[in-house]
Amino acid sequence: MSTTPPRIWISNETPAQGEVVRIRAQIVHPMETGFRIDAAGQPMPENLLQGFQAHLDDDLLMEWQPETAISQNPYIEFTFAARRSGALRMVWTDQSGDIATVTREITVGG
Amino acid sequence: MLRRRTLLTSAPAIAIGMGLIGRNALAAPAALTSETVLLPRKGNAARIVICGGGWGGLTAARYLREELPDADVIVLERNPIFWSCPMSNKWLIDVVDTGFLAHDMIAPAQKYGYTTVQCEITAIERDRKIVRTSQGNVDYDFLILAGGIRNAYDAWFGEDLEAAEYTRTHFPSAYIPSAESLALKNKVRNFTGGTIVMTLPPPPHRCPPSPYERACVMAWHYKTNNIPAKIIILDPKPQVAPIGAGYRAAFEELYPDIITHVPNAKVKEVDPYNKRIMTEAGDFDFDEAVLMPPHQASDMVFHAGLIGTDAEGKPTGWADMDPLFFHARQDDSVYVIGDSMGAVSPHFGHYPKSAHVANYIGKIVAGYIGQRVRGEEVAMRLPDNLCYMMVNGDPQEAISVEFTYEMGADNQVHQTQIDIDVRTPDLMKEDFVWIDGMFNDFLR
Amino acid sequence: MTSFAEMRRRQLLLTGAALGAGLAAVAVPFPARAQISTIAEPQPDDAESDRLAAQFLDGQQPVNEGLVLELPALGDNPAAVPLRVHVTEAMTGDSFCEEIIVLASRNPLPLACRFRFTPMTGSADVAVRVRLIQSMKLRALARMSDGRVLQAKGEITVAAGGCGM
Ligand SMILES: Cc1cc2nc3c(=O)[nH]c(=O)nc-3n(C[C@H](O)[C@H](O)[C@H](O)COP(=O)(O)OP(=O)(O)OC[C@H]3O[C@@H](n4cnc5c(N)ncnc54)[C@H](O)[C@@H]3O)c2cc1C
Repeated sequence: MSTTPPRIWISNETPAQGEVVRIRAQIVHPMETGFRIDAAGQPMPENLLQGFQAHLDDDLLMEWQPETAISQNPYIEFTFAARRSGALRMVWTDQSGDIATVTREITVGG
Repeated sequence: MLRRRTLLTSAPAIAIGMGLIGRNALAAPAALTSETVLLPRKGNAARIVICGGGWGGLTAARYLREELPDADVIVLERNPIFWSCPMSNKWLIDVVDTGFLAHDMIAPAQKYGYTTVQCEITAIERDRKIVRTSQGNVDYDFLILAGGIRNAYDAWFGEDLEAAEYTRTHFPSAYIPSAESLALKNKVRNFTGGTIVMTLPPPPHRCPPSPYERACVMAWHYKTNNIPAKIIILDPKPQVAPIGAGYRAAFEELYPDIITHVPNAKVKEVDPYNKRIMTEAGDFDFDEAVLMPPHQASDMVFHAGLIGTDAEGKPTGWADMDPLFFHARQDDSVYVIGDSMGAVSPHFGHYPKSAHVANYIGKIVAGYIGQRVRGEEVAMRLPDNLCYMMVNGDPQEAISVEFTYEMGADNQVHQTQIDIDVRTPDLMKEDFVWIDGMFNDFLR
Repeated sequence: MTSFAEMRRRQLLLTGAALGAGLAAVAVPFPARAQISTIAEPQPDDAESDRLAAQFLDGQQPVNEGLVLELPALGDNPAAVPLRVHVTEAMTGDSFCEEIIVLASRNPLPLACRFRFTPMTGSADVAVRVRLIQSMKLRALARMSDGRVLQAKGEITVAAGGCGM
């Protein structure tokens, strides 16, 4: 795996109560489909990002299951309504387990 | 000078075989005879002459000296300093200073052991293996054409050289290292308000993402200085590309009142005197403009008679070279590297015309020539590409695009493009790491 | 190694100097190079995509409003076509979007991805990049907590080239 950290952009880390916060996140990952054959004629093993979850503290905000159609270096953009402050925790998972976690504090009404 | 260059290349239909016209039109200074020899040969060593000391040329020079420690490597370059186009948009708003972009060309020549000559390349005689320059003639065993691009104003103005000259000086595109960069910077800084029109060249052109970057940094400057400016991007493409989503987000979120992107705006006619431009997406009046005409291979590729033709026999405007080994199809003692290169794959056309690719191909071709001179089999290599583009000034944020290449089972090169649309400060930092690595590679 | 002075002499003797020195090497057939191929095949028709849609609908009639699928005019980079799906109605504690799927009808595996939301999300608006093996129809389906399934359809032309699958 690459050591590049995920790229994160948050529209507002100190949103007003109820404000819709937009998150953009992108991670480096080969997203090998398992369909490809290498130069030596060997199949290249499937290596896909399997899941992405965003939590606010312990509450699940959203979950994403990428499949083979998702591009290399997967990009995800999502929104949530900021109802309370908390730690926004994003976790990426592939065959080898959790590969990246990013946490950002969201402070509502700040 | 301008007149001669324009004449040389203004009629693409007669482009092939222009070396002849070049020779006739050559007005040599009195002290030079047409056979003045610029540099003596160094014994039996292979002589490799590199035309153009930009990103591709200087990289090739360094790596040729490493491949072939005895080789006589000569770089011919018209400019007195190396001026980096990468980062030059950021320089418009003083994110970097002039010293960051301008580099001494003699120091790397001494460090790596090649020769640089400041001169204008005026003709190439492939039958005699001679390059003619404003300082005299240089003969070669291998020739590398690394001249970058030319601005094809003739595509807009035909034979009207006056309109081309007026446009070049009044609405400089600053896409080629030249006096235009500073002229543009002063224009950007002195602008007090109104409508600025920016035309994008049709693909393929030099550095496809950077016109949008330029629009962003200019918009940032006007926004932070409360200058009532509108920037209209006239794009011949149906949408912003590459990094379209990242740019669109920047336009809409950071500069909604300043930047307007107009798709499918192929230029039909330019009236620089009345500040008006007619496109397929409508007509636009402007107070100020950055007018980028279509791009073509540098003049020297025309001089060498190595411009390709398309299926209908029309000149492509780009070099006709082997897509994997980069030597001219008609003459394998001549290589073409960097932005002048023609198409390499039926799948995606040209390699991106970027400094990253020019540097990479410069290295690859140095390796190829090294292998040939040593009598080894030539082992094919493919490049990759990486570009960072600044979209926000505070905080400083960038987006980026990466390209990787593979040989397909169809024996053609395949490209994978990955846009990094999330604008972040770390991409900005990575850009500085990238350029520092590049400058270390061939300038320091 | 051939002396270059020697080569030059020989070249001068040649009439077509363009066929000069050291050229044999270039004529060598391509050396071993990385050649990657793929067994990915597009779906021949929309049947598999329709089957996945029917499974998601589970007997429901889809509602053709309230859900928007945004696609570019042209997929100029088939390896990363941006798409956005969003539910336009406001989310409340009782009525929110539970799940969205995106189907790319002609991809080898038409299910492109799945999203799940909770009452905490307070919106359902997502964007991703997909690789598309050819021009095709796309469809998004969103299941609401009250049992409705919203549907949005789109069609895209992609430029030829590698999609990286
Ligand atoms: C605003 C801008 C931003 C950019 N940003 C990036 C970026 O972030 N990353 C990236 O990878 N690329 C970027 N590029 C693209 C990059 O600058 C070019 O792709 C790169 O310079 C190509 O290298 P080259 O060697 O082909 O041409 P050049 O670097 O232009 O070198 C050609 C040289 O040949 C000389 N020459 C031409 N004709 C003659 C002649 N007849 N006689 C003597 N000398 C001659 C020229 O003076 C020049 O020095 C950017 C370009 C611009 C304009």
